[in-house]
Amino acid sequence: MPADTERTLPRSGGGSLWNRPWRDWALFLVIVGPNLVLLGVFTYRPLIENIRLSFYDWNISSDTISFLGFDNYVEWFTRDDTRTIVANTVIFTVAAVLGSMVIGLALALLLDRTLRGRNLVRSVVFAPFVISGAAIGIAFQFVFDPNFGLVRDLMHRFGLGAPPDFYQDPHWALVMITVTYLWKNVGYAFVIYLAALQGRREDLAEAAAIDGASSWTYFRRVLVPQLRPTTYFLSITVMLNSLQVFDIINVMTRGGPLGTGTTTMVYQVYEESFVNFRAGYGATVATVMFVVLLVITVAQVRIMDRGRDA
Amino acid sequence: MTRTRAGQIAGYVAMVLVVLAIAVPLAWVVLTSFKERGDIYSQPAIWWPRVFAASNYSDATTSVPFWRFLTNSVIVTGALAIIKFVLGIASAYGLVFLHFPFKRLIFVVVIAALMVPNQITVIVNYSLVAQLGYRNTLLGIIVPLAGVAFGTFLMRNHFLSIPAEIIEAARMDGAGHMRLLWRIILPLSGPTMVAFAVITIVNEWNEYLWPFLMADDSSVATLPVGLTKLQNSDGLTNWGPVMAATVLAMIPVLAVFLVLQRQMIRGLTSGAVKG
Amino acid sequence: MVELSRRGFLAASVTAAAGAVLTACVGSGNSGSGSSGGDSNTITWWSSHPGKSTDVEKELITRFQQANPSLTVQLVDGGKNYEEVAQKFNAALSGGAVPDVVMLSDVWWFNFALIGAIAPLDDLFGKASVNTSDYVDSLYNDYAWNNKHWALPYARSTPLFYYNKALWQQAGLPDRGPTSWQEFDEWGPRLQAVVGSGKLAHGWGNATDYLGWTFQGPMRTFGGRYSDQFDLKFTEPGSIAAANYLRSSIHDKKYAAISNDIANDFGAGIIASTIASTGDLSGIAKNARFDVGTAFLPAPNGPGCVTGGTGLAIPAKISDQRKVNALKFIDFITNTDNTSYFSQKVGYMPVRKSALSSASTQQFLAKNPNFATAVNQLPKTTSQDYARVFVPGGDKIIGTGFEQIGLRNADVNSTMASVQSQIQQIIDRQITPKLPK
Repeated sequence: MPADTERTLPRSGGGSLWNRPWRDWALFLVIVGPNLVLLGVFTYRPLIENIRLSFYDWNISSDTISFLGFDNYVEWFTRDDTRTIVANTVIFTVAAVLGSMVIGLALALLLDRTLRGRNLVRSVVFAPFVISGAAIGIAFQFVFDPNFGLVRDLMHRFGLGAPPDFYQDPHWALVMITVTYLWKNVGYAFVIYLAALQGRREDLAEAAAIDGASSWTYFRRVLVPQLRPTTYFLSITVMLNSLQVFDIINVMTRGGPLGTGTTTMVYQVYEESFVNFRAGYGATVATVMFVVLLVITVAQVRIMDRGRDA
Repeated sequence: MTRTRAGQIAGYVAMVLVVLAIAVPLAWVVLTSFKERGDIYSQPAIWWPRVFAASNYSDATTSVPFWRFLTNSVIVTGALAIIKFVLGIASAYGLVFLHFPFKRLIFVVVIAALMVPNQITVIVNYSLVAQLGYRNTLLGIIVPLAGVAFGTFLMRNHFLSIPAEIIEAARMDGAGHMRLLWRIILPLSGPTMVAFAVITIVNEWNEYLWPFLMADDSSVATLPVGLTKLQNSDGLTNWGPVMAATVLAMIPVLAVFLVLQRQMIRGLTSGAVKG
Repeated sequence: MVELSRRGFLAASVTAAAGAVLTACVGSGNSGSGSSGGDSNTITWWSSHPGKSTDVEKELITRFQQANPSLTVQLVDGGKNYEEVAQKFNAALSGGAVPDVVMLSDVWWFNFALIGAIAPLDDLFGKASVNTSDYVDSLYNDYAWNNKHWALPYARSTPLFYYNKALWQQAGLPDRGPTSWQEFDEWGPRLQAVVGSGKLAHGWGNATDYLGWTFQGPMRTFGGRYSDQFDLKFTEPGSIAAANYLRSSIHDKKYAAISNDIANDFGAGIIASTIASTGDLSGIAKNARFDVGTAFLPAPNGPGCVTGGTGLAIPAKISDQRKVNALKFIDFITNTDNTSYFSQKVGYMPVRKSALSSASTQQFLAKNPNFATAVNQLPKTTSQDYARVFVPGGDKIIGTGFEQIGLRNADVNSTMASVQSQIQQIIDRQITPKLPK
């Protein structure tokens, strides 16, 4: 591990500050410490408390708490709705991550070109990202309304017949949630990709153009490898962000239709803890989610850092 | 030549489609916010309100202390953005350029904080803040949200991509940490810093659950919390005023974004930065 | 800025040190320092302002403070709906200062009573001189459990049968609601013939539009119910018959469907009739471009409609003096004049018998015949079944069961059996162990 962590440092030698590690340590504590304290108190303390709770039966408003051992975990692994909820979570997350990256990169490539008005379009693409999830949920609830909504009106105008049952068919409901999420969040991936594109190339792009390399070859051979660190970064942050989507679901479907049609794990955590008064079980779901995510993220970080060094 | 021409045209067509995909739902929301009930619920849909009803907006601004909410939102968002910006850059700098044991582990600890849904942190934090007597205060809203995981990750990722030769050269010149940061690192980080700032402002502006639990009255309620009063908690949803409230909540942050957007584009187009 | 960060970090470091102690406290009952907080002359009231009633509630407070100059009332936004108020109350119970008066709706109060977080009011009624016999019986008894009363009615509603008079006329139906669901089953196809394509004679609510609430009425008329106390009755013949009726109206006779937004769909003329809350009345009346008819829910043999809405409760851990003041306040804002004022302004039911017969109410009813229907139905309503209102998550399980039947044409017997077993499991796990012996 130590060898790993030092890897990114400039090699020491000569300069006055660099070869006195204790001064580095002190400075590190001063500038990184406050953030670590804040995260420790307001994120990790609740997290640890939460892990502890997952072994208990606790009604969130009650003073009494009783120890269950692994019962909550056994229940999670054997319960009927677990499979549906995990499937919803995985499908939604994968669609959100892939969708964000593909559309975000496509938009970044498009708006990186010299086109008149591209600054305006860049603003437009990013604009939905600044609106709150709850507001977008409310707005899109109306956009998808089967009787008075925009989707219905457009399909009607273009002779496409009636819209699918966005609110009554669980699959279409999940599609609706995913589309809404992407509409709001694709601007984020776009901006990060655009920042990467702007920093890079000049030389290479022109060289490739002059070489007459086909744009596909250029994309595959030059662009994709160059953007790899950005792609890893996005894959982690979009994954973590999409997994925590709550507002859109809560406003648009409340986890339905048919009970668990659009229930994801985070929505389940909320519902079990605050609606069904089973904070212990909610904590169990949250703990399972945290452990799985931790494993995935550590793997992604390793790949990312290794990729950079290569 | 024709190939570029065709490419240009395809580019413009794509741009128009993108704008439509984003703008049409937004326009729908904005137009709905000006409609009277009858125009909202009609088949086929009426796009252009027959009468522009400003009443939805006067509802939203007069029936709740709108300007108080706006001020609170500006204070909370401003304070958090500044704290997070400083802490994020400082943490990333420490994680990349300083010696410290178990740095990678510390880094994983920082980004693992992104995996903790706030549904599970609110209860424990609530009792802590309540016991310290900071409930229903701006401080009680701000401090628990001040830890920064995403920004540290973003800035670290960027700092790592700054070519080693540049750092090496500065070090050869005998630059200390302050000079390295101010003269070398930050000037090379314009676009990423602006992206960090925008994303932070946006997230804090839209924060709902925590300010909702902390705020008891309009003296500290932020805009997203305050405007929910316009929704009818029992009975049918009246889309007009709700859409007006939505638009009102959107406008300030859109304005901030448009201002920073110019900086962001300038930063993004200045080139010479390896992103 | 410096000041702010320093205080923040101070708080943070203090708590980091105290972290272990605090962690031990959560959930173990030692976190009750909040109970000592609060001054006994200030009454804090958490409300979600149902029906956009903020201004009306402020007026009620002004009236109270005029009558009781030594007491002040602070109105707190408890959230945008009942669920958020309960959520905020939960957070407060885990360690913050609790309010003096908290609004808890039908499906929320029982949990807090079961674990002793809200106070039984019976011993306090005398001290605050509350005349409970004046409350409408069914509304007052909604909060009865374990021989005690745990809240008083405040913003109360009931389901109501709404119908489109123009379509009724076209179908040649009498200008009234059906007297039984069997009668409506004959009317349905006749209506369906005149409503036009893409429209329906009847729209049932979905799970989030509280089908689990409104359908309790129809259940009763078929001789079924969800439960008798905690004894579940979903698979009794009457309950199955009611669920079969729901299924056949949608899938066999095809004059009904599950609608996403009953109030707005009805107001727009897409469904010719529906069961919706009395709370929707003013909105629907404003929205509709046709004559809106209202009627009792069919009740040929005993009650065919249940109550709903929200009441006001008092947390258990505040001092007795505060409890008495809180109860005085609840009594005051639901007294004859004030409940009349509130119901006329916001559209909820008057909760006192004296208010029902008061001149002001009678005058108002004469001018608002549809509201009169709702008020006149009130004496014929009955309290809800435990399976929906006392079982955490029960409403969603029941609503989901009906969605399975309505949207998926699921087998009625097995769906109802599944609902029953899910709810039974929750009762066994979360309620039975905590019931007083």
